[in-house]
Amino acid sequence: MALLDDNVRDQVAEFLKDLDGSVRLVVFTQDFECEYCAETRQLAEEIAELSDKVAVEVYDFQADAEKAKALGVDKIPAIAVIGAEDYGVRFYGIPSGYEFTSLLHAIRTVAAGEPELSEEGKRFLAEVDQPIHIQVFVTPTCPYCPQAVTLAHQMAIASPHVRADMVEAMEFPHLAVKYQVMGVPRTVINETVHLEGAAPEPMVLDKVREALEGQ
Amino acid sequence: MKIQPLFTGLEPTPEPKGPEGEAPLYDLVIIGGGPAGLTAAIYAGRARLKTLVVTGPLPGGEPSNTDLVENYPGFPEGIAGGELARRFQEQAERFGAEFVMDEVTEVDLSERPFMVRTPSAVYRARTVIIATGAVPRRLGVPGEEKFFGRGVSTCATCDGFFYKDKRVVVVGGGDSAIAEGIFLTKFAREVIVVHRRDRLRATKILQERAFANPKMRFMWDSVVEEILGDETVTGVRVRNVKTGETSVIETDGVFIYIGLEPQTQLFAGQLELDEWGYVVADRHQRTSVPGVFVAGDVQDPDYRQIVIAAGTGAVAAMEAERFLEQEQAVAE
Repeated sequence: MALLDDNVRDQVAEFLKDLDGSVRLVVFTQDFECEYCAETRQLAEEIAELSDKVAVEVYDFQADAEKAKALGVDKIPAIAVIGAEDYGVRFYGIPSGYEFTSLLHAIRTVAAGEPELSEEGKRFLAEVDQPIHIQVFVTPTCPYCPQAVTLAHQMAIASPHVRADMVEAMEFPHLAVKYQVMGVPRTVINETVHLEGAAPEPMVLDKVREALEGQ
Repeated sequence: MKIQPLFTGLEPTPEPKGPEGEAPLYDLVIIGGGPAGLTAAIYAGRARLKTLVVTGPLPGGEPSNTDLVENYPGFPEGIAGGELARRFQEQAERFGAEFVMDEVTEVDLSERPFMVRTPSAVYRARTVIIATGAVPRRLGVPGEEKFFGRGVSTCATCDGFFYKDKRVVVVGGGDSAIAEGIFLTKFAREVIVVHRRDRLRATKILQERAFANPKMRFMWDSVVEEILGDETVTGVRVRNVKTGETSVIETDGVFIYIGLEPQTQLFAGQLELDEWGYVVADRHQRTSVPGVFVAGDVQDPDYRQIVIAAGTGAVAAMEAERFLEQEQAVAE
């Protein structure tokens, strides 16, 4: 059964109609598909059907371990959104519910290769020369979360040193425990710096600065 | 659990629109993308007004925060709050309203066209509808700020999952407190409602369900004085308002539903607000500034219902249309 109904399919097709470049959705699942692995793969495939510029590649997390390692994928289900280059945009867990919108925005901005950030934000991120790993914990029923996820992904697009993950907390409860997630969105930068809630760009940039200074 | 992909279709940030002198001019700029603003956008679009909705941080507004809406007519089985909000928006887009997902940082209502500024753009507006809604009120007690997002929440649909088999406290006694408290029993092993009065204010049907729910307990005549914990929330200190006695309830989380505060900081000093900060409106949703209309929770201290927000949104849009027509007639 299709995950996207006709109505949503029309909207998605419309949204993806003028993509500036090609995008690959690199999906990691496994032979015996995990609870949301099958649905994540199907979701990616249904999106790809709606745009000739979006393609899906499916890999097995075990059999294609080398590929997973090369893309830094350490858990499944995973989607790496890759355009002209790999900007480090990742989704762990199914991007459903409100996060479906985050996935579509990621596709569109990765296709363009141009982050939707303020000039000041772009300038700051262009000068970052150390690795920054942003993890945004979400639940699919959180209306505030896509804002935090999309902002993190934009920052990944803006800098080769920044990678950004959406992490669906319900599917990775051990990570929710590890990072003390009791509310979403919760953004974790380089394991050390935390931010609760959907914060505006300047506030998140301050946190990135804080993480850099702590290194 | 099956979760449907939900496409809210909004831009995260709009394209900057150039310097102030060339700011695009709209017949109507609607500030706020909840039921009031979206309904106004439906009516304005059908009236063929050039309409822009600046949605604010929560697409769909307060219903997006609601698990299930059971009192909006036309949905006999109830409808998920987020899905209802999405449909409102889809309908508004169908009639031509434009949307930007951005927050208004400044408005100038002192001369026309009015000016509406966001971090990335400036818009000019012949008329404005204020539909900024209200945000959950905080308790203002020690520990609340420290644990906000880490054990203290105002969004059960977002954070309920993290309280699986745990004990949570819900503060409040109105519809939101009781509906979300019932929702939390899907996850939590126990939900304790702390309410400052000796009876609930919530709709009777919600009260019936809450009292019948074996996971729910009630602490009457009680207010939370402090949220306790070191690394995580471990409890709340509660004071009985009748006896003055204080006690500590052990809990893993606190959900606060003690009402809403109107979002009117942007407009202070520019139009008439009442002593609680709500925008003062007449029965045609007109504010004290001609050409500026208001709808929804930001002008409604009493009811805060989706159906009423939608209703006032419709009135505001029809009045904005009439205002522009009359102005046009005078000019000719």
